[in-house]
Amino acid sequence: MRSKLKTLAVALPALMAALSTAAAADPGITDKTIKIGMFAPLSGPNAAYGFDVANAAKMYYDKINKDGGINGRRIEYILEDDRCDANDLVAAVKKLVEQDQVFLLNGGSCSAATVAAKDFVVRNKIPLIMLNASGDGALYPPTDYIFGAFSISQYAVGGAMINFAEKTFGVKRLAYVNHDDAYGAWNLTGAKVDAAADKVDLAVESVSPTITDVTAPFLRLRASNPDALLIVTYARPAALLIKKAREMGFDKPIILSVTGTANLKQLAENVGGKGALKNLYIQDVLADAPGGPKIKWVYDMYKAAYPELAKEPDHPQTYMPYGVPSAEAIVRALKAAGPEPTREKFLAAMKQEDFDTHVMAGPVKFGPEERAANKSTVFMKYDGSSLQMLPGVYTTRWTYKN
Amino acid sequence: MTLSLFILFLEQGVASGLVMGSVYALLALAIVIIFKTSEAPNFAQGDMMMGAAYVALYLLVFRKAPPIVAIPLTIVVAFVVAALFRGLVLAKVAKSSGSPVNLVIATLGFSYVLRGLVRGAGVGDTPRTFPPLASTDSIMIDQASVTILDLVIFGAAILTMAGFFWMFAYTKLGRAMRAVGMNPKAAQLVGVNIGRIHMLVWGLSGVISAIAALLISPKILMTADMGSIVTLGFAAAIIGGFNSLPGAVVGGFVIGVSENLVGLFISSRAIVVAPFVAIMLVLIVRPQGLFGGRTSIKKV
Repeated sequence: MRSKLKTLAVALPALMAALSTAAAADPGITDKTIKIGMFAPLSGPNAAYGFDVANAAKMYYDKINKDGGINGRRIEYILEDDRCDANDLVAAVKKLVEQDQVFLLNGGSCSAATVAAKDFVVRNKIPLIMLNASGDGALYPPTDYIFGAFSISQYAVGGAMINFAEKTFGVKRLAYVNHDDAYGAWNLTGAKVDAAADKVDLAVESVSPTITDVTAPFLRLRASNPDALLIVTYARPAALLIKKAREMGFDKPIILSVTGTANLKQLAENVGGKGALKNLYIQDVLADAPGGPKIKWVYDMYKAAYPELAKEPDHPQTYMPYGVPSAEAIVRALKAAGPEPTREKFLAAMKQEDFDTHVMAGPVKFGPEERAANKSTVFMKYDGSSLQMLPGVYTTRWTYKN
Repeated sequence: MTLSLFILFLEQGVASGLVMGSVYALLALAIVIIFKTSEAPNFAQGDMMMGAAYVALYLLVFRKAPPIVAIPLTIVVAFVVAALFRGLVLAKVAKSSGSPVNLVIATLGFSYVLRGLVRGAGVGDTPRTFPPLASTDSIMIDQASVTILDLVIFGAAILTMAGFFWMFAYTKLGRAMRAVGMNPKAAQLVGVNIGRIHMLVWGLSGVISAIAALLISPKILMTADMGSIVTLGFAAAIIGGFNSLPGAVVGGFVIGVSENLVGLFISSRAIVVAPFVAIMLVLIVRPQGLFGGRTSIKKV
C-alpha cells in the first residue's frame, strides 16, 4: 500500500506537469507534426500571383519532410484559396486558425488583401509569414507576429527603380505611374526619397487598377518631357501604357516593375508586338533570369514535384520561385526554435534570420525592428522574346522612422 | 499650362473621348432598348459584351477563323444566346412573379453564369489582347493623335447606331418594338406578339453588345472582368435619360469626353469619379436625364 502511495506521489506531479505542458502548448504542434496554414490566390484574375508560388512553398515543405522533417516532426500544410480578395483572405485565415488550429500561417500574395488580416493575426498572436506579398502596410510599424516582403518591399521597389534609372540613364526628369491605392502609395513614398536624394524631378500619375483608357495619364506625363517612364502597376494597366507609348511615338526608356510582368509572353502580345518593347527594362527580384543557372535548382525541383503541371503552357508561372524563400525562413526558424518549439520561440528565431535564399537577389534579413525580408532588386532588358540580365543590385534609401 | 499644351489636351481629350464614348453609347443603347420594353435594367449587359468578346477571341485566335466568318458568327451567337435567355428564363420569371426586381435578379444571375463560363474555360484570368480589326498606326488630326483603329471604332459605332435608329423609326419591326415599349397591352390587342418582340429586343441588345465587344476589346485588353465597363454605359443612359435612345448616345459621348478632359485637366485620379459627378449634376438639374421624358409617379 505504502509503495503504491509512493508511486502515486511520484507519478501525480509528473502527470500534472505533463498535462499542464499539454494545456500550455501552442495549437498545431504535436510530437510528430507541425501544422502550417497556407493561403494564396489559387483561382480568379490574380491566380498568376500565387498559384505556383504556393506550389513552390509546398514542394519545399515536401522536400523537408522527405529529408526527415524538422526535429523529427513532419510538416502538414493546409492550403486555402484567398482569390486576392480581402474578405476571402480573412475568412481563410480565421478558418485555418480557429477550425484547423494551425501553428503558424504562411500565405498572402496580394498586399492589400494580406494587410486586411493584420488585426486578427496580431490580436490572436498567430505568426504570419507572408508568401510573396509585399504587405508593407502590415510590416511598418513592425509587430511581433508578421513578417513579409520576401519578394521585396514596395518602398524598396519605388526607390530602387529611381536609383536604377538615375545610374543607368542619368535621368533628371522621370515620369512615374503608380496605382491610386495603398500599394501605390508605399511605392511612391520610396520613390520620392530616392528622387530627392538623386535630385531627380518626378512627374507622378496615380491611376485606378481598373483603368481602361490611359490616354489622359500618358499625355500628362509626356507633357513633363521626361527622360524615362517608370510604370509600377499591375499587368493590364502596364500593357495599356506601353501600348499607348508606342502609339504616341514615345521612344525613351520604359522601366516596368515586377508586378506588371506576370506573363511576359502575353505582355509582348498585349502591347502589339516587339516594336513596343525596343526600350523596355523590367525590374525583378530573382538572383538570376528565370531558369538561369543560379536558380535552376528551383525550376528542377518544380518539374520533379509537379511533372504534369510543368508540361502545361504558362507553367511554372513567372512568380513561382518567390514561394521558396518564405518556406526556407519558416523551416530555419522552426529548426532554431529547438526540439520543443513554441510560437514565442519561433517568432524570436524569425527576428534573428539573416541568410541567402539562393533564389532572390538579396538576402532575407530581419531584425528587432525590421519585418521586411528583402530590399534588393535587379533589372533586365526584355525585347519581347529574351531577357538579358543587367549588372548591379539596387535598393532604396528609404528607411522606416518610428 | 501653356496655350499650346491647353489646345493639345483639349483636342486629344475630345478625340479620345469621342472614340471611347462611341462604345459607351453603344452599350447605353443596348441597355435602353431593353429597359424601354421590359422596365427592368439588364445588369448582364456588360457580361454579354464580355462573353461575345471571348466567342470572337475563340474563333479568331484559337480556331484561326477569318474575320469575315468570325465576326458574323459572333454576332449570331450573341443574338441567339440573348434571345434564348429572354425566351427561356426571363419569360418564366416574368410569368411567375411579374415583379421587375425578380427580372433584375435574373439578369444578375445571367451575368454570373457568363463570367463563370469564361473563367471555367481557363481563358479569362490573364489579360489578353484581341486582334485589332484595323491598323493601330497613329495619324494626327491637328495636334490630336488617334489610331486608324480609333477611327474605325468611331465610324462603326456611328453606323451601328444609325442602323438601329433607322430600324426603330422606319421598319414594321421597329414600330412594333416601340409599341410594346409604350403600351404592351394595346400592342397585343393590335396583333403584336409580345413574347417574340421581347426575344428580338434582347437578341438585338446582344448584337449591339457583340459589336461593342469587337470594337473595344483591342483597346482595353480582355479579362473576365471587362464587362465592368458597362457601368459607364449605365452612366451614359442615366445622363441621356433612361428611356431615350438619342439620349443614350449623347450620354455616351458626354461620359467619354468628360473622362478624358477631367483626366487631362484635373487629375488621373479623378477619371473614375468623372462619370458619377456628371450623373450627379444631370440628376440635380434635370432628374429625367438630358433627353428623358417627363417623370411620372406610379401609384402602387
